[in-house]
Amino acid sequence: MKIWTELLNNLQEKIPSSVECELKMMHSKSALTRFANSQIHQNVDEESADMYLTMHKDGKTLSRSYNLTAVKNSKEFIEEALESLKESPEDNTWAGLTNKTESHDGYQEIQEVNPDERANLVKDFVNEGKEMNAAGYCSTYLNNLFIWNTNGLNSSDTSESAFIDGIFRTDTSAGSSHRGAVDIKDLNASRTGKEAAKLALDSQNPTDIDPGKYEVILGHEAVSTILIFLSVYGFNAKSKIDGMSPLLIGENQFDEKITLIDTPEDEDSIGFKIDATGAKKHNLEVIKNGIPKTYFHTRRTSKELDMENTQHELLGWGHNFGGIATNLNLNTGHTSHDDMISGVKRGIYINEFWYCRVLDPITQVVTGLNRNGSFLIEDGKITKPIGRLRFTQSFITSLGQGNVISVGNTSRYADSEFGEGMLKVPELHLKEFNFTGGVSG
Amino acid sequence: MFDLLNIAIDSAINSGAKYSDARILVSKSRSIAAKNGEVENFNESEKVGLGIRALVGSSWGFYSTYDLSRESLILSGKKAFEIAKASSVVSGEETPFTHAPVVKDEYTTPHQENPFKVSTTEQIDLIVDSTEQMKKLGSSRSFGRLDFWDTEKWFCSSQGHEIFQNIIESGGGISSLSVGDGETQIRSYPQSFGEYRTGGWEVVKSFEFKNHTERLAEESQRLLVAPHCPEGTMDLILEGSQLALQIHESVGHAVELDRILGWEAAYAGTSHLELDKLNKHKYGSELMNIVADATLPGALATFKYDDEGTPAQRVDIVKEGIWTGVLSGRDSAAIAGVNPGGMVRADGFGRLPMVRMTNVGLLPGESSLEEIIDSTENGIYMETNRSWSIDDLRLNFQFGCEVGWIIKNGNVTEMVKNPTYTGITPEFWRNMDMLANKDEWIFWGTPNCGKGQPSQIGHTGHPASPARFKNTRIGVRG
Repeated sequence: MKIWTELLNNLQEKIPSSVECELKMMHSKSALTRFANSQIHQNVDEESADMYLTMHKDGKTLSRSYNLTAVKNSKEFIEEALESLKESPEDNTWAGLTNKTESHDGYQEIQEVNPDERANLVKDFVNEGKEMNAAGYCSTYLNNLFIWNTNGLNSSDTSESAFIDGIFRTDTSAGSSHRGAVDIKDLNASRTGKEAAKLALDSQNPTDIDPGKYEVILGHEAVSTILIFLSVYGFNAKSKIDGMSPLLIGENQFDEKITLIDTPEDEDSIGFKIDATGAKKHNLEVIKNGIPKTYFHTRRTSKELDMENTQHELLGWGHNFGGIATNLNLNTGHTSHDDMISGVKRGIYINEFWYCRVLDPITQVVTGLNRNGSFLIEDGKITKPIGRLRFTQSFITSLGQGNVISVGNTSRYADSEFGEGMLKVPELHLKEFNFTGGVSG
Repeated sequence: MFDLLNIAIDSAINSGAKYSDARILVSKSRSIAAKNGEVENFNESEKVGLGIRALVGSSWGFYSTYDLSRESLILSGKKAFEIAKASSVVSGEETPFTHAPVVKDEYTTPHQENPFKVSTTEQIDLIVDSTEQMKKLGSSRSFGRLDFWDTEKWFCSSQGHEIFQNIIESGGGISSLSVGDGETQIRSYPQSFGEYRTGGWEVVKSFEFKNHTERLAEESQRLLVAPHCPEGTMDLILEGSQLALQIHESVGHAVELDRILGWEAAYAGTSHLELDKLNKHKYGSELMNIVADATLPGALATFKYDDEGTPAQRVDIVKEGIWTGVLSGRDSAAIAGVNPGGMVRADGFGRLPMVRMTNVGLLPGESSLEEIIDSTENGIYMETNRSWSIDDLRLNFQFGCEVGWIIKNGNVTEMVKNPTYTGITPEFWRNMDMLANKDEWIFWGTPNCGKGQPSQIGHTGHPASPARFKNTRIGVRG
């Protein structure tokens, strides 16, 4: 990409050989077509080119981020950075730069999606529930990542993705559905809209039920949220270092039906094939048959804990955030959605969770609510829609030994509390889930 | 900069937009994170770019770029128009837009010491030393962070606005974490996630971190052996920063007009409030007076003009318990038939401006915290937020705090851990029966309010003093 080549050529030669230096640039074209009240009301498009500079010398590290326009004069820019490096704080956890041998050339010229394509998918979604109120978005992302360092590493990669996400509302209910894909052409907005519309129609005039412990079937989005919380607060090696991770690596902590894999190498995985250090990511067993196998590491956490670096460093998050897996894939089981329902004597189906927050990270007790499609199941059948419930439940225990009755036989990309496209999951049938409040508090 | 903005705006108008405005921002930030007496992260950032929006029919088109060349600016105006026009595939009624007086003005946040001109060594030493002290005093982990933002913003509109503002924000906080057998306990100051205000380095110096390290270290360790918060219904007294978050979640978001109109329905949600209940709905007790005031000197969401060129102002939101106002922008206000509140802001040049809380605060009452505790027979005093969750109508909430103090017959008797409380918004606010006075009224700031798609982070203010809420359900556990 021309702007990266020019930037690198301008800066590279001005960096003294005595300084360890890492230079990165993320060039992005992201767009989002947003609709509410069944019409497109906000339609946005952004082109950005952000640069990240890290320098290390004599035990001190300088870390800065700019966009291209903020770098007015490359000579002055480097000279000023070198001066500031002298005043930078001591850095006792510096873990070095990635080796040249890890270089990866994945940059591709890809045409950005135009707003008409997104608008047409929105139309397909909205048309599935014309008698209802529709809201949501269709988004597309085209990201190019370039990483160079003084070890001689020169890596690049290109990632594209697209999402359709929406709800339908009636006077008394709402239903939602979501889909993600690498290529916008793989999104079926009509099918997504149909699912959301059915949930909204089926959820009308909900009945409030008493809080308590219920058997539950969790939809894809609800499962995705549980796993992203475990990922951020548990598997992130920074949590381990800070004494807040609930995970017991190598022990039978989860139900044996739970097998979780990080799959950045898979063809249909969304995101970059390299981490923020420029090294190629690899597929990784995270939980195997209920046994946690690893934390998610950055260079620094792997050094501090003396464990292998799992290449989970993220761009732009600061090294005090730690590592996060971006392609988690919960293995499917053998049970269909209908068979899950028919196996429940009395329980609840939850499409998605909302506003989940951790009460204590080390126990992973989380509170949150249900929304956009929740139903009471009695004697193997969905009998009625139900209203809001608040749960206060350990996410670790929810997937604990003996609590997972079955795992769904189909998986898909699902949204989570923390965003889109990071997890591919099936539905889960859990023996017990603790609801602590109803609509009256 | 105004000339550059007008190139882009002219391009959007010449393309066919009925209205266009644009901003160029130079945004600088500095962030210092410390742990256990060492710097954990130190980052400085600078971004420069343009964001332009164009109104065509029923939709906004928005385009942003880092490229400020003439060719790019002309293209940006055209793109904003074309993006808005593409919305016609799924269009609705034309979006109205209230006229705002054309203004040419400039404003800089009043401050004593620009934090970017203060030596980084001085700033680093302050936060590192605080965490080192707590570690020495027995904290399992001690954390500290400082953040500074210096945002220069040029705004022009097709109506003729030319406004320059330089907003300076500063803040930070410290925490002591104690790790026990299968549990963690934390104490933070001035509040969880730090306290932030408009102003310079003097804001951080006023916190006097070193005077609080001993208390935080001691309390976080004592919490490990403290009994659990009891379960039941009793009087709840909230410390100011927790009440600030309660205001943010159960009032501030609920009165955002874009939510009430359904514009945020898919993600952030809607509101339990409907416009036909304005000036009728009983939101809380007569002690409840909420104002949105973007003119409060030093509060985090203080500015002179919002990102639509509307002057900052004070709007009554709840008056003596009755819902009286909303948070609005020029488009939403026109639809609802109210005056635009000057409450539209964007997270940087790359995001579409949207309705944002300003300083949405609870006006002080007549009591002191001491008097509130003295008059409480059976209650609990909770300090400093630890967790927060509320439904998408802003009705059903549950909060956790870092520490609770049991009150019996007007006396604080013991510390309890893992305190939580839960409730329903109108019932909760109608149960507020005592409110501390202006001596304990603090301009609390929230620097991490998420809203919108694409996601935006907003800085909001919430002046509050401690208050008592009768008959509240506490002690919910998993």
